[in-house]
Amino acid sequence: MSDRKPKNIFITGPISPSFIAESIQKHSTQKAIGGHSIFLGQVRADETEGGVVSAIEYTAFEELAMDNMHVIREDIFAKYPLTCMHVYHSLGSIAAGEICLFVFTSSAHRKAAMDACEETVERLKAELPVWGKEIIAGATHQWKVNK
Amino acid sequence: MQVKVLIFGQLTDITGVSELQLNDVSDRDELITALNRQYPGLADSKYAIAVNKQVINENIGLTDNSTVALLPPFSGG
Repeated sequence: MSDRKPKNIFITGPISPSFIAESIQKHSTQKAIGGHSIFLGQVRADETEGGVVSAIEYTAFEELAMDNMHVIREDIFAKYPLTCMHVYHSLGSIAAGEICLFVFTSSAHRKAAMDACEETVERLKAELPVWGKEIIAGATHQWKVNK
Repeated sequence: MQVKVLIFGQLTDITGVSELQLNDVSDRDELITALNRQYPGLADSKYAIAVNKQVINENIGLTDNSTVALLPPFSGG
């Protein structure tokens, strides 16, 4: 095990494009990196029986989510030669069209960054205690189901 | 003896609260029985149980000040 400590991955509200741009910019000093892979999750205006989804309200068991994310991070670093990984997930109400998940992996060569990014996204959707309440325009709601 | 119960996701639609205290439940099965009595809708709900942040799959004893979390299927991302 490394000495990396659980990081807070949660951001209240949507993840802004400028935050993402700044995050990319910060890596310009790390010249061993040859490839970045980025996944952005965006709230989709799903058409459901009850109406169109206008926003998703995210809640989490934050402490457990950070513990579980720490395990995922350790596993991914053990499996792939990554330079770094950053994960941010929104909490609170995120409108359709806004960004709610930002996963950013970097490595010397592209394959590790791309594979690690995909695996991290799949694992965090399955393993982090986070819930999305889909707000339907017109004040009702239903709970998001991950497929 | 008192345990704290944290309720998440769609289960809060049933309980109306995200946290409650239960007295005199000595193990997981007694806790489930007490919850189902208080909130019959929970009996039909799918969820995992974590005790002090550890997901458990069998009946275990609870101690004073245990924190139990009811975790419906995750839907983050």
